[in-house]
Amino acid sequence: MTEDQKQQSKQDEPRIGVYVCHCGLNIAGSVDCAEVAKFAATLPHVVLAQDNRYTCSDQGQAGIQKDIKEKKLNRVVVASCSPRLHEPTFRKTCEDAGLNKYLFEMANIREHCSWVHLYDRKAGTEKAKDLVKMAVAKATLLQPAEEIEVPITRKVLVIGGGVAGIQAALDLADTGYKVYLVEKEPSIGGMMARIDKTFPTMDCSICILAPKMSDIGHHPNVELLTNSEVSEVKGYIGNFHVKVLKKARYVTKDCTACGECVKVCPIVTANEFDVGLATRHGIYTPFAQAVPSTYIIDMNLCLNKDGVIVCDKCIKACERQAIKFEMKPEIQEMEVGTIVVATGADVFDPSVIPDYGYGKFPNVITSLEFERLINAGGPSGGHLIRPSDKQIPKRVAFIQCVGSRSEKTGKPYCSNVCCMNTIKDSLLIKEHWPDTEIYVFYVDIRAYGKGFEDLYKRARKEGVVFIRGLPAEIREDKRTHNLWLIGENTLKSELYRTNADMVILSIGLEARKDSETIQRLLTLSRNQDGFFLEAHPKLRPVDAATGGIFFAGCAESPKDIKDSVTQASAAAARAGILMAKGKVTVEAITPIPFPEKCKACGLCIKVCPYNALTLDKEKKRVTVIEAACGGCGTCAAECTFGALTQSHFTDEQIIAQIDAITEYDANKKTVAFCCNWCSYAGADFAGVSRMQYPAHARIIRTMCSGRVSIKFIERAFARGAAAVLVSGCHIGDCHYINANYQTQKRVERTWKKMEQNGLNKERLQLLWASAAEGEKFATKIREMQSIVENVKPEEIEKTQKVFEKALEGS
Amino acid sequence: MPERIRHPPLDKEKMEQVQTEIHLIEDQCKGCGYCIEYCPRKVLEESNEINARGVHIPKVSDISKCIMCSFCTAVCPDFAIFVEEKPARKVKED
Repeated sequence: MTEDQKQQSKQDEPRIGVYVCHCGLNIAGSVDCAEVAKFAATLPHVVLAQDNRYTCSDQGQAGIQKDIKEKKLNRVVVASCSPRLHEPTFRKTCEDAGLNKYLFEMANIREHCSWVHLYDRKAGTEKAKDLVKMAVAKATLLQPAEEIEVPITRKVLVIGGGVAGIQAALDLADTGYKVYLVEKEPSIGGMMARIDKTFPTMDCSICILAPKMSDIGHHPNVELLTNSEVSEVKGYIGNFHVKVLKKARYVTKDCTACGECVKVCPIVTANEFDVGLATRHGIYTPFAQAVPSTYIIDMNLCLNKDGVIVCDKCIKACERQAIKFEMKPEIQEMEVGTIVVATGADVFDPSVIPDYGYGKFPNVITSLEFERLINAGGPSGGHLIRPSDKQIPKRVAFIQCVGSRSEKTGKPYCSNVCCMNTIKDSLLIKEHWPDTEIYVFYVDIRAYGKGFEDLYKRARKEGVVFIRGLPAEIREDKRTHNLWLIGENTLKSELYRTNADMVILSIGLEARKDSETIQRLLTLSRNQDGFFLEAHPKLRPVDAATGGIFFAGCAESPKDIKDSVTQASAAAARAGILMAKGKVTVEAITPIPFPEKCKACGLCIKVCPYNALTLDKEKKRVTVIEAACGGCGTCAAECTFGALTQSHFTDEQIIAQIDAITEYDANKKTVAFCCNWCSYAGADFAGVSRMQYPAHARIIRTMCSGRVSIKFIERAFARGAAAVLVSGCHIGDCHYINANYQTQKRVERTWKKMEQNGLNKERLQLLWASAAEGEKFATKIREMQSIVENVKPEEIEKTQKVFEKALEGS
Repeated sequence: MPERIRHPPLDKEKMEQVQTEIHLIEDQCKGCGYCIEYCPRKVLEESNEINARGVHIPKVSDISKCIMCSFCTAVCPDFAIFVEEKPARKVKED
């Protein structure tokens, strides 16, 4: 857009076109769309209002474009679904017709109206009218804006060196990008390196993984940082500044992995790689195929841990003089454009279920311990032996869903891999010791993937007995260490009491215990199960909500090797798209300073989570670094002098929305502020799930709850609103690092003011709701119904008086 | 690896490979405490016993932790402490 055009649209009287979408019967089923359109036509500046079946269809979009040209529309309002779904679509429609995309506004009358008021057409229609009125009020004040372009560094950080991280790193490195692969453990390989065989093809796991691991070690574009952890991430999409803590290995790259040092090391401990079933020395390599093959010294156990060389046996044994006790941890800094999170999952610890006796009975083991036992390179050389007497068991029982699909253990989700893993394990036992009797106790067998059903059938044919119903209890014969499984066969409705020489608990996967650290470092969100939350479950399954960050493997949800690899390649492709383009545009929602009003107090700079503001004290001027700005608007909400506002979410626009809500029947309504990423998305989710709640709330969308300034809350009350709801992401989950701390502070301050003036502070509610917590949002609105119903006219009058100052300047 | 280890290693006898005995020439000790301070496995501690020189001598707190690095011998200024390997494992009889 040229400067002339910009000037022109600024000066022009707004000419708004309103399009009310039926969305088939999705909206029209519970909202009278024709009436809403008729109402819209009566609003100021609206020159055209119509209802149509599918506004997002090509036909619908063409209609809008035609009207922009023919009717000279300079603002467009579409009342349909959530802007989180179709705002980009309609923005493009407007742009293609020559209208700046920031002159488009959306009213969400589907997720926030028709779907949540399915059985109250009258209330639904009234609410839809209000929502359209709010959108029109905001649209009148919209200004065209230009987006700035940010260059993208063509380097990528992959966090986690399991199979997903390896695949993503290889794909990106092969494309030609520089890859930093950071792994916490001394070797890459992750969980796949510990598994014996893979299902359904029964390939040897490490045999197919080792070549990939070695590729990583030799790839010219990959810089492998093992025994390292990401300690700091700053910056934004395309321009992340990362610090990685490289812990000391005490062995240099000169190590040839000859193993002479191991022979003399006096320290012996349990090897974590073998789940403690084998031993290792103080200087060690976790497993034979480790990459890098360089040995490592466990400094927690080494005699030299206090900085004094007490024992120099390994130093003497090393011909290459590769052992250096003076090595120190280092911080390596790097600039990357994109980040792939492939941090994997932990396994469930079954010792929290006392009835199964894991950790108490020696012959109750986990499926991971089984993998190490059956592995030819494992502690028993591939012999499945009972830990109690090292005999090969004759009767083996598998128990499914240990730490999956169970409310009791706090793991209500299915872990995806355990059913097939057990079937594979049972076949492995049958292969080595065909006479073994195998019983699988299950809830449901989920053999959903390619080749899975065949494997399941094969197991049944080989004589593996599947019994539906998990044991309630395992008892041990103290003398023989044999086990008794007691439970109910739910297909036959009879009790069983089966004995077994060995019980294998098929343990589920859970989110990494340190995922909170990654979440904080990268400002990600997690679902209620603790796994990282994708930007959209269907259409953006590998993108994080934070730009430039992608997921691969079990970090996002439990999945098998094939799915992990698939997702890793997808993440690599998504990251590659960004880096191939080499630049990204930043949404024009950055702050606009008004230097003449600025008092140089510096409050805005204090609250900015991105350090995107700088203050020149002498000139009394705040400068915005647009590329660093995340667009939360917290700075604008903090400024008490009106010297800062947020583009596209200006004070005037939000006030216009508040005024539109409270124009009529304010005493029956709730003014709700929702942040784009969590609570607005949560409200969308309530709609998608058709959770019904009363129609008193009108939602104003801001990018972050931190944008909600105290004066907005006060204005809503001053205009006679019955209640105000401020909602955002959970503390710690804020999409803008920590901007919602400001929300809390501001709401608390308003509560205090209300209390001091003898007002019922219940009328101002604060809700933290994630994108997955639709029910929580719906429940809150239901709860607030009684607040809205019970507020007395005198009380509203009193509130209006207390906050009447907020009406100034309108 | 984040899993908690619940089973002892199948080759756990390896973990008890060296059986040692710590000998102290009691009256030679001047109670400086270096052996206690510098033992990397914290095998020694101060005892209540007093020797001819009127100082508290060290005593063994947990011999199973000792892996015969002999650092105590190296740091002892009075050549009062040394470690020997036991010829065979003695079974404790309680």
